[in-house]
Amino acid sequence: MPMYYFHLHDNEKIDDVDGTILVDEAAARDHAAGVARELTFKNSGMLGKDWSDWKMSVHNDQGTKLFTLAMEDFRNGNSK
Amino acid sequence: MIFELGAVLDTISFPLSGMISLTVVTEDGGIIETSTVGREGAVGLHGVLGHRLSFTRATTQISGVFSTIPTSRFRSLIDGNVSVLKLITDHTELLLAEAQQVAACNAVHDASSRLCRWLLQAADRIGSDVLSLTQEFLAQMLGVRRTTLTLLAQDLQRKGLIQYSRGQITILDRKGLEENACECHHILRYKTLLSMIGLSA
Repeated sequence: MPMYYFHLHDNEKIDDVDGTILVDEAAARDHAAGVARELTFKNSGMLGKDWSDWKMSVHNDQGTKLFTLAMEDFRNGNSK
Repeated sequence: MIFELGAVLDTISFPLSGMISLTVVTEDGGIIETSTVGREGAVGLHGVLGHRLSFTRATTQISGVFSTIPTSRFRSLIDGNVSVLKLITDHTELLLAEAQQVAACNAVHDASSRLCRWLLQAADRIGSDVLSLTQEFLAQMLGVRRTTLTLLAQDLQRKGLIQYSRGQITILDRKGLEENACECHHILRYKTLLSMIGLSA
């Protein structure tokens, strides 16, 4: 089963150094959305910057970018 | 594994080092931590009060040395001594207060603050800033996906608060971590919990 990597970036990067084994790209999309929800729940951003410019880009184990999410889309308005 | 869900509490474990997690296991496979026990506590102690089953799954979260004694042996040794029985109920009250705080924390605090709180709590329980743990387990304890933990830990590392590598997290800046944690880290200190429920350390 393939490995997927879920990196965050605005003008800086936070790398998923560990990766996750998932069945296929559809599962990777679900996983990405779940991670985005967990990160944005009551949380205002990363590296001291709010979510507005942060994106999550998902890569396969060859380093090819498969898709991108905008973190701002997951912010539920309950951040601190 | 110290106790599986529903197991008879037939042994008492006293951690001399390391840390045990008490976890609730949900039907969909979630393993959420509700309390931790280190060198100031014990697992299975209330089994002394009578035939008891474990409500939680107790597992070793951070390896250490545990001292164990069969519950029946402990029961005959203390022979109904009121002071010891009082200690046992005090300890049970402490675990209850901790579980109540953690329940609130898990419901309303963000994952980054909860991670900081967990790291500080673990460091206090084991008496060291170097935490040898399985990141897969830690993600489960906090009820988040492994990826979320990886990204949050990278964020804390970039801020200089921790050093994160496979199998180990080292606290570099305790004060900084406290500032990033929710207030629960302070409340969950044994001394604070004890005074908040009206018992002295």
